[in-house]
Amino acid sequence: MKEFFRNTWKHRAHVIMALPAFLVLLFIMYVPMTGLVLAFKNFDYSKGIFASDWVGLGNFEFLIKSKNTFLNMTRNTVLYYLLFTAVGTVLNVTIAIMIDQMAFKRAAKTMQTLMIIPVFISYAAVQFIVFAFIDSRTGMINNVLGTSTRFYSKAEYWPWILLIVKVWKDTGYGSVLYMSVLAGIDTSLYEAANIDGANKFQQIRHITIPSLIPMVTVMLLLSVGNVMRSDTGLFYQVTRNNGALYSTTQVIDSYILNQILKSSNFGYTAAASFFQSVIGLLLMLLANFSVRKIEPENALF
Amino acid sequence: MQTTAKHARALKTADNVRIGPGQIILTLLVILFTVFCFAPVLLVFISAFTDEMYINQHGFSFFPAQWSMNGMNSVLRYGGQLLQSYGVTIFVTLVGTFLGLLIMSMYAYAISRPGFKLSRFLSIFLLIPMLFNGGQLAGYIVFTSWYGLKDSLLLLILPLCVTTMNVIILRTYIANSIPGELMEAATIDGAGDYRTFFQITLPLLKPSLAAVGFMMATAYWNDWQNALLYIVSNNKKPLQLLLINIQKSIEFLLNNNNVPAAARAAMGGTIPQYSSTMATVIVVIGPIMVVYPFFQKYFVKGLTVGSVKG
Repeated sequence: MKEFFRNTWKHRAHVIMALPAFLVLLFIMYVPMTGLVLAFKNFDYSKGIFASDWVGLGNFEFLIKSKNTFLNMTRNTVLYYLLFTAVGTVLNVTIAIMIDQMAFKRAAKTMQTLMIIPVFISYAAVQFIVFAFIDSRTGMINNVLGTSTRFYSKAEYWPWILLIVKVWKDTGYGSVLYMSVLAGIDTSLYEAANIDGANKFQQIRHITIPSLIPMVTVMLLLSVGNVMRSDTGLFYQVTRNNGALYSTTQVIDSYILNQILKSSNFGYTAAASFFQSVIGLLLMLLANFSVRKIEPENALF
Repeated sequence: MQTTAKHARALKTADNVRIGPGQIILTLLVILFTVFCFAPVLLVFISAFTDEMYINQHGFSFFPAQWSMNGMNSVLRYGGQLLQSYGVTIFVTLVGTFLGLLIMSMYAYAISRPGFKLSRFLSIFLLIPMLFNGGQLAGYIVFTSWYGLKDSLLLLILPLCVTTMNVIILRTYIANSIPGELMEAATIDGAGDYRTFFQITLPLLKPSLAAVGFMMATAYWNDWQNALLYIVSNNKKPLQLLLINIQKSIEFLLNNNNVPAAARAAMGGTIPQYSSTMATVIVVIGPIMVVYPFFQKYFVKGLTVGSVKG
């Protein structure tokens, strides 16, 4: 113990260097964790977090009872995660391979630059772009088809709309990571395959795809830790937070954001938030455990 | 080594000059996807310069028959507020990014020092927030009622300032790409710990700082959620919140057909219209579009480093 203090004193400059970020983490990330006790309390603003009355599991009971809202948003959160991850991964890999295989290298580079742009547009701006396509009167889709579908009040269209928006926004950027793996493949493998008379498709199937598998596995496993968290902007901004669409667009994160902005039902919201954090922790541990088994050097801890 | 591999590859494609039908189909598909990604962005620019009446009658179009500068001109109507919001966004982005880069690289440097016993604790302390956090609600209550920071720019800066992933990226870069002997040599030559960090490590960290810095800057620039939750006064509204307010006022007008004509006319100065809204979107996303190509090579590198833990 004494030795530990001596060591720390010797490294006091390093302690001071770590201090600012340490304090930011402490006040921004750690202190709010105490707020999770709200899930077991009847929050009263005037009394504050700790003085509010305990209600045991009351909030959770209420949450389970209102099963429509709660089950619906949990289902949406999980299903969108599955949909986005499945489609996203396939597209990211496909686009990466396609760009990598292009003979016109400069054109490929330019196109990649253009593809990445949407990731840098905030959802607050994206929703205006989506509006220009799907508005019932001025929207381009309705004008081209000669229809006047009211997309903003038809919940059944939204899984598709959100999927398209997500693919549009993230695919270009998502493929960059896989491109860098492809750039690292030993070219002699392709040359050897060429000499052995393998055609392009055979080369892709037996060289390119296998070399991407480790990265794909790691990315998939790590994403498991975020199942309960969604791209809030997509569900809150792009849908214009439209109540008529909640049955297919409300996810846990957008629900909590809505409740905070309406400042209603904090106990109930805290229970949902608690549920999200705990499940998130379990999934994160599970994800890291599996990565550790398969690709130890890619595990987070 | 890598450059020779790349070189060999370039030669290979140069050899295969015969472009088969497969290559043409492939290129067409990639072009198609590029169009899918870029066309909506293009539409923003086109609509911003389309005549308002035209959009009203014929809807948004890639090939409008009537062009107009009115959209751009009417953005100036937000005048003061737009400039103010621009100022807020630029301030938050610059301060946040520089502050974040400085304190995160110091943290990363400290925890990567050999023989520093406390670094184990500091690493775990860094990792936990990635696994577990209080969530939006707890953060909201703690920040507003305990810290009393409602309507403070600090809440736009601090929550995005230190992220576990970014510290890991910086730490990995220090561990893998900066030879430890350099730092040792500096110490032997009598440079203190701070001097070693600021004069030896920090300059060598530049590529990684550029990557992380660019990603941070876009995160700050595009952050609407903290603004929506915490910012109330007009003079602290960042650009993204301005966009959200514009959308809300459009919705209000659309949903309230019984707003008296006189009131509409009175609001005329602030009624956001299709073309002017798109012009505002350009003003908001423009700076990133301009800066991004210069940083592309860095963040590609940054992504690669971040994906491999050291």
